[in-house]
Amino acid sequence: MGLAAKSEPQIAGGFVNESFTQGHLLRDRAAFAAANRVEKIPIVIVGGGIAGLSAAWRLHKSGFRDFVLLEMCDQAGGNSRWGENEITRYPWAAHYVPVPGRKAIYVRELFEDLGVLKDGKWDERYLCFTPQERLFLYGRWQEGIEPAIGLTRSDRDEFRRLEEQIGAFRATSRFTVPMEVGFSQESANLDRISFADWLSEHRMNSRVLRWYLNYCCRDDYGATLDQTSAWAGIQYFASREPEEKGPLTWPEGNGWIVQRLMERIGSFVRTGRMVHRIVQSGSGLKVYAGDAEYHADFVIYAAPTFLAPYLVEGMMPLKTFEYSPWLTANLTLDRLPKNYGSDPTWDSVFMDSPTLGYVDATHQTLRTHVDRTVWTFYWALAEGPASQNRRMLLSGNWGYWKDAILHDLERVHPDIRQCVSRMDLMRMGHAMARPSVGAVTSPERRSLAKLHGNLLFANSDLSGFSIFEEAQYRGVVAAEHALARVSGSKRG
Amino acid sequence: MGILLFITVLLIAACGLIYELVAGTLASYLLGDSVLQFSTIIGCYLFAMGIGSALSRYIDRGLAYRFVWIELLLGVVGGFSSALLFLAFAYSQGFQFLMYALVIVIGVLVGLEIPLLMRIIRDRYHFRDVVAHVLTFDYLGALGASLLFPILLVPHLGLVRSAMLFGILNAGVALWSTWIFANQLARTAVLRGFCLVVLAALCTGLVEAKRITQAAEDNIYADEIIFARDTHYQHIVLTRFKDDIRLFLNSHLQFSSRDEYRYHEALIHPGLSAIAAPRRVLVLGGGDGLAVREILKYPQVESVTLVDLDPEMTRLFTTNPMLTGLNHQSFLSPKVHVINADAFPWVESNTDSFDFIVIDFPDPTNYSLGKLYTTAFYKAVARHLSEQGLMVVQSTSPMFARDSYWCIAETIKQAGMLINPYHVYVPSFGEWGFVLAGHHEYRTPTSLPPGLRFVNVKDMPALFQFPPDMAPMSMPPNRLNDQVLVHLYDQDWKDISH
Repeated sequence: MGLAAKSEPQIAGGFVNESFTQGHLLRDRAAFAAANRVEKIPIVIVGGGIAGLSAAWRLHKSGFRDFVLLEMCDQAGGNSRWGENEITRYPWAAHYVPVPGRKAIYVRELFEDLGVLKDGKWDERYLCFTPQERLFLYGRWQEGIEPAIGLTRSDRDEFRRLEEQIGAFRATSRFTVPMEVGFSQESANLDRISFADWLSEHRMNSRVLRWYLNYCCRDDYGATLDQTSAWAGIQYFASREPEEKGPLTWPEGNGWIVQRLMERIGSFVRTGRMVHRIVQSGSGLKVYAGDAEYHADFVIYAAPTFLAPYLVEGMMPLKTFEYSPWLTANLTLDRLPKNYGSDPTWDSVFMDSPTLGYVDATHQTLRTHVDRTVWTFYWALAEGPASQNRRMLLSGNWGYWKDAILHDLERVHPDIRQCVSRMDLMRMGHAMARPSVGAVTSPERRSLAKLHGNLLFANSDLSGFSIFEEAQYRGVVAAEHALARVSGSKRG
Repeated sequence: MGILLFITVLLIAACGLIYELVAGTLASYLLGDSVLQFSTIIGCYLFAMGIGSALSRYIDRGLAYRFVWIELLLGVVGGFSSALLFLAFAYSQGFQFLMYALVIVIGVLVGLEIPLLMRIIRDRYHFRDVVAHVLTFDYLGALGASLLFPILLVPHLGLVRSAMLFGILNAGVALWSTWIFANQLARTAVLRGFCLVVLAALCTGLVEAKRITQAAEDNIYADEIIFARDTHYQHIVLTRFKDDIRLFLNSHLQFSSRDEYRYHEALIHPGLSAIAAPRRVLVLGGGDGLAVREILKYPQVESVTLVDLDPEMTRLFTTNPMLTGLNHQSFLSPKVHVINADAFPWVESNTDSFDFIVIDFPDPTNYSLGKLYTTAFYKAVARHLSEQGLMVVQSTSPMFARDSYWCIAETIKQAGMLINPYHVYVPSFGEWGFVLAGHHEYRTPTSLPPGLRFVNVKDMPALFQFPPDMAPMSMPPNRLNDQVLVHLYDQDWKDISH
């Protein structure tokens, strides 16, 4: 007939940063090559995510130089890793930090060190530019993610009542970032029920309100309303009182902070070194990684805590640590969709989608004109048991997940397939700790979170959830603990 | 035979409804307020149909003959209605009058159709069957038309051609009726001849429809378009009427050659003349070279750096003889260096210092342009100012966008500079505002380059006086993370154009 088949442009890409294969070596107790050299060093930091890098930053800032940081991957940063192409830098996971409140003293100190906070003022170039967020609902876009159009009187009433409740919790000063500062018996009580049950108890059943709260929990915790404890749900809202319109963000997300930290402490960081064994030995510890055996006085264990029983000899298996699997994608767009729908916005969310929407990496550009961009697409596989979702995440091939993501985007941008030239995917089986009912108050977690002995746990999962400020806090506090005890002569 | 008759009913009902929908849609497009337009048009149309039905009783003889003529008339009036209305909107003041006149004429004709048709065929069938069938097909036709119109016709054919297409159907019905009612007609050959003429006219209209809409759209710019180009960044249009050349970027007027000297003299001289020995000047925006023309009136200026995003724009104003006549070939001066770059990143990465900086960007109509009006931007620009340097900012109208103007002034102040707001009357723009800023106290100059037509030493202090209707307002600064200016600007202009 002379008709050509309707073809769509080829989209390149694949899976990147696959680290679970290394994790599975530990899980399956694979045999590792024996060490052939010994390095004596007072402090070893295990894990180069924000917690580990922050511990290193603190040691270095105090003038202490006798330490080493061992990172399994080839790139430091953990959940704050980033990538770069000819258009822009872009994040692989964590992409912002809310403007820190007065209680987050270490985060403020860091940002002063990095020049983000000067004389009490936040540098405008690092605050998220207007317009910040938008939500697609009822076939159109609104500014902001909290639904504001199509609300009934009772929806509004429930939003207002929730706001009042949150205001009251905020006034108690028990919901803080970092969480340890304000955690109390009242918090512990709230940790015994799910956020969904707490909402029902308070007669908050509005579909729109629950969609919004569920979105918040999926976004921050990778968990649904009923998988999140009431304490964590309230903590999300009551812990923050920003003094400035934020959040802080950069094209490469928190990767910007990683780069600034690496400029300071990069020479102490050894990437591509997977620690596979930690053993108590006399008053110290032996850490095995690659061809070396490190003899340390203190180990700051900043890697995900669930891995510890596979590494630390004699450690009991953990029961209460749960993690959410995440899929993130970076999409290279050769042009914006025809019906983009508003001025270029940082974060775009779709109502009633299982995904979390996308963030535009070129939003923080100072240019007025942008032709091509990169979108980072987020998908927390929250609904249902985590282990089942992890299997699903690993069983789908690249084409499967690519189509699933495009399918979700097509609802909002029908010509998205004509815009995207590349899509890289990152699968993380244990991306974020999940603050499920009872998680934060579990004795197991409380005990690991307490710094004692010479093995100091510092990952953000000890706070029950994975956010930048918690990781940074635990890293800094662990470093201070070690600094105070390591023999004085070794202070540079 | 029966079914053909009833299909005729279906078609004429569809045609009638389509003309009504075309009128309603056109009026909504062109005049706005779709509720008002559709309500009044439907009301007039139905009322006119009533008049038509009432008039039908005065037609005694020659029913079939008159029916054919009514169909032909409907074909012509309805078929060309949309094209006529488009042209009337572009070229005359009488759009609304013509629209309601057309709606009433069409309504009367449609109102005549069904009563006549029922009388023509009443002898062939039982009366109750006639009523039932005619009305059933009438309503079916209306349903079909009302579905076709939004789904197929408007998206694929457009309003002009949809009306033409249904005019053709009306004329087709007329032609076909000369056979159906042949036994009740005399001189059918003549009638068929008329039908063919009308059909030919409508078919021509259908083919040429694009030219009609084009002619209407051309007229939306008041003057003759002498240049139009879509560059990578914007839509550039130049118009000319006698000796007045106007530049539009994305449909926003940038200058009129008749009074631009007021704007550009006021932009440059109050600042530049106040600097003791200006050597290096920076212009951000200003790709028309008119500000540079004024700067080159100072022989002591050694270099002018102009940063404009759009290379097509600066090339046009470097090479087009008519335009270089306006800017006195300012871009060809050896002192001038044109850089095509996005201003904010350029300002961030460049380290040169300048004695005078001119910031002449399009108004902050969106968040992308709004970045060029933030504390962060002005701080970055201020780093390029020499010790005695001054900068001047095009700041929209303190009269029409008073909130926006004072918001820009506040933003520059919060970026750490002393501000001196002033304004000037430019006939093609209205009252227009600027802000001079620097690190030192400013005093109006006591001498100016020769040959200026507007700015003069005696009247200059008056430019810095604001009458009560433009007086300072307390406004928040515009910041990258909180762009209040774009909202204010939007609101200001909405308020005066409602």
